[in-house]
Amino acid sequence: MDSAARESLAQSVLAFAKGRGESEVSVFAVDDGLTRFTHNAIHQNVARAEVTVHLRTIVDGQTGVASTNSLDDAALRKLATRAAAMARLAPQDPVFPGLPSGGPTEAPPDSFVAATAAATPELRAQLAADVFSIANRDDLWAAGYVKTASHGVTIGNTRGTLASFDGTDSGVNVKANAPDSTGFAERNTADVTKLDAAQAASAAAEKAMRSRDPEPVEAGEWTVILESPAFGDLLSYLTDHFSAQAFDEGSSFLSEGLDRRYVGDNVTIFDDYAHPLAPSMPFDYEGVPKQRLALFERGVAKNVVTDSYWAAKLGLPNTGHALAAPNSDGPLPMNVVVAPGTKPLAQLIAETKQGILVSRFWYIRPVDLRKTVVTGMTRDGTFLIENGEIVCGVRNMRFNQSILAALGNVEFSSEGARSSAYSYSNVVPAAKIEGFRFTSSTEF
Amino acid sequence: MHELTFDSPAQRALDTARARGATYADVRFEDGRSERIEVRNGVVVTLSDDRTTGYGIRALCDGAWGFAASDDLSDAGVDATAARAVEIAKAGAAVATRRFAEAPADVYVEHYATPIERAPSDVPLGDRVALLLDAERALHATPKVSVGRAWSDAWRTDKEFYSTTGSKIAQLLYQTGTGMSALAVGEHDAQDRTFPGDVGLYQAGGWEVVTSARLGENAARIGEEASQLLVAPQCASGEMDIVLGGSQVSLQIHESCGHAAELDRIMGWEANFSGTSFLDPSLLGKLRYGSEKVTIVIDNTLPGALATVAYDDEGCKSIRSDIIRDGMLVGFEMSRDTARTIGLSSNACVRAQSWRHVPMIRMCNLNLLPGDVPFEALFEDIRDGVYMESNRSWSIDDHRLNFQFGCEIGWEIKNGRRGRMVKNPTYAGVTPAFWGSCDAIADERSWFAWGTPNCGKGEPMQTGRTSQAAAPARFRNVRVGVGYDG
Repeated sequence: MDSAARESLAQSVLAFAKGRGESEVSVFAVDDGLTRFTHNAIHQNVARAEVTVHLRTIVDGQTGVASTNSLDDAALRKLATRAAAMARLAPQDPVFPGLPSGGPTEAPPDSFVAATAAATPELRAQLAADVFSIANRDDLWAAGYVKTASHGVTIGNTRGTLASFDGTDSGVNVKANAPDSTGFAERNTADVTKLDAAQAASAAAEKAMRSRDPEPVEAGEWTVILESPAFGDLLSYLTDHFSAQAFDEGSSFLSEGLDRRYVGDNVTIFDDYAHPLAPSMPFDYEGVPKQRLALFERGVAKNVVTDSYWAAKLGLPNTGHALAAPNSDGPLPMNVVVAPGTKPLAQLIAETKQGILVSRFWYIRPVDLRKTVVTGMTRDGTFLIENGEIVCGVRNMRFNQSILAALGNVEFSSEGARSSAYSYSNVVPAAKIEGFRFTSSTEF
Repeated sequence: MHELTFDSPAQRALDTARARGATYADVRFEDGRSERIEVRNGVVVTLSDDRTTGYGIRALCDGAWGFAASDDLSDAGVDATAARAVEIAKAGAAVATRRFAEAPADVYVEHYATPIERAPSDVPLGDRVALLLDAERALHATPKVSVGRAWSDAWRTDKEFYSTTGSKIAQLLYQTGTGMSALAVGEHDAQDRTFPGDVGLYQAGGWEVVTSARLGENAARIGEEASQLLVAPQCASGEMDIVLGGSQVSLQIHESCGHAAELDRIMGWEANFSGTSFLDPSLLGKLRYGSEKVTIVIDNTLPGALATVAYDDEGCKSIRSDIIRDGMLVGFEMSRDTARTIGLSSNACVRAQSWRHVPMIRMCNLNLLPGDVPFEALFEDIRDGVYMESNRSWSIDDHRLNFQFGCEIGWEIKNGRRGRMVKNPTYAGVTPAFWGSCDAIADERSWFAWGTPNCGKGEPMQTGRTSQAAAPARFRNVRVGVGYDG
């Protein structure tokens, strides 16, 4: 469904909701396909197409939310009735500031590519076959996927807000498997014609072959170099702390105060929806334009992100970081970008006397919220560095590490990359960290 | 009796798939309704009523599956979606070097409905909101409680499954859950307590699930415990005996047995994302997975358990089957295609999150059978140990071996008695060695079907609703305090 059709649908829903207080309608359209493979053959091949309408209605500070994917007038009238009925049963929230007015926004360049929206299952299968060729060449087996997606969002409300965004995404994800080692690589882009599946497969295969016969190493404090996927995953467990809600309620380390130095003065982190490696929608789920915002600036915490509710509650500007209603998580930064360093990754490796190179982490979970301690495992390509050279693969290890402490002793590479295919993807460089704490290892 | 609603479009979808070249097809229609209420610090932050209707078609062509899903119920929409499923299957078959799939032959025509005492929708919404507001208010038992939360979820799913072999299965499923949590904030520290268990109480059933949780009766205690944790001593570190509460044993089953025994994972179907497994079909009947006290079974017929249904999402009838018997590995969670590769039959462990998701293997109801001692007896001969309750942190490697879990709260065990409260208890281990150290499980009086409503797996990611019935259990010589020991 294109933006004009979504906006027409949104106007219809607002008309049905008229006279029942304030209303906000969100229309989500998705059309995507994912071809998944293992052992160099496709084992799952799916596609879906759907349009969903969400309606938030507020009557005297009382809020109800209803949704449906039935788009006929009868169903949409019923949607308006259900949302209003729920609102009337909710207690009044004295803080509720009213729905926000939106503003002009402009989608980042290249966020929608027609070729991606028109991608066929045959194209996905061919890209998968490119992966199989590389894996067969190197006597490996590959598991992963090729995906293509187009998605549209329209937000409208009774204050006159009407904002639409159309985006596309495509990606190839490859884990190359040898008898006692694995390697991983992925590429993600809005333009499927730029998706080089063979290159991703080659990168994954090289890691798998290079980490054969992994050696055990002792747990303890190590110099580590985290490649972008690993560092981006780690960092995603810090970004929730920049929510105005977590800040106010005391679950964030930032509750100690803003405008304080928490990490090294070479750490600058932004929230930026328009970064060319991960172009995203220019407004939030209330239709408010997103601000490009500094989270850390030279090591000093500068801002928390807000939506209309938390901006009003804390007397802060609305930064345009609302999630979709209903939302109990508060506003969140969703487009985190880390300012790169000056040296390429190869130089960071070359300058390392002894260390561990980590391709990817797995199953990171918080251990201590306020101290930002998390635990997790390495996977799919972990290497020993000695005297500036990668000398062998090592068995995977578990870490327990404070993220803030890691950022207090870090050097970034000069290359930035989108860290993953998921919604918590960040644009980050590789990170060299001193004193990273591994606490145990595995048999593989 | 629940009647078939989608018979006509279903037959159209199957006819179209056949006409396009599918040798087998099935279609699953779902009409789902989700209601969530969440209260946070006296404000109803979520009061939502979501409805979704649609269908997913699986088509088999030349040994390759295609799956397409749509919410377009028109004749043209059904035809286009069926054609898309066949097109996708053919695209996969064209580059396939091996075949994973065969057409099933079994046929079932049946209706099933979850037994309930009272549908949540029959309880006035105002009463449901009031129950949560009252509980949440009581959580603020001390000024240290910064955030109180209470919530309920009610899911009703009308599901109809049709296949080209003639199956017609209608199921009306009710799944309901509730819970509450208190976050206490002190100087440089924040401590959470959740009740019941770490995600709440989720079971198959109606509003009676919510009332059985007794939120109001326990709210003040939970708020007080969160506050006490701020000043409680740090849990000790070292090797010691531990007793885990029932919900934590449930999490332990889920992570270190449930996922490890998924046959799709063992076969590498999840390798790039969720990972693989340290298990292998050659280990069936040979691997000692745990002590002889440990027997773990799939039972998708267990009354009240969250994943209980009559049929799974590829039309197989629910059964009970052993995974670990007296400590020995004897089975896996299986689908038709995966079971056939090792010469076995499906044990009906296939589920999809919704109509828009492809069915995949899930652990469903995976239960550790109860032991033979009263709960209190678990402490009796522990000289120096820790009792831990309610999960806070869970991490395990992508082969399901090396794990580290943390709980919200612990109590020292000294000379057979539960002593003072400690904070931040964690423990770590390696799966078979850990289950091998289990020397006692509490009896059926403490046995409970804990639900997990948020199990993530697959790509595109699906959220599954699983259950692990468990009782508290004792484990010897476990590494405790990891993450805080230096």
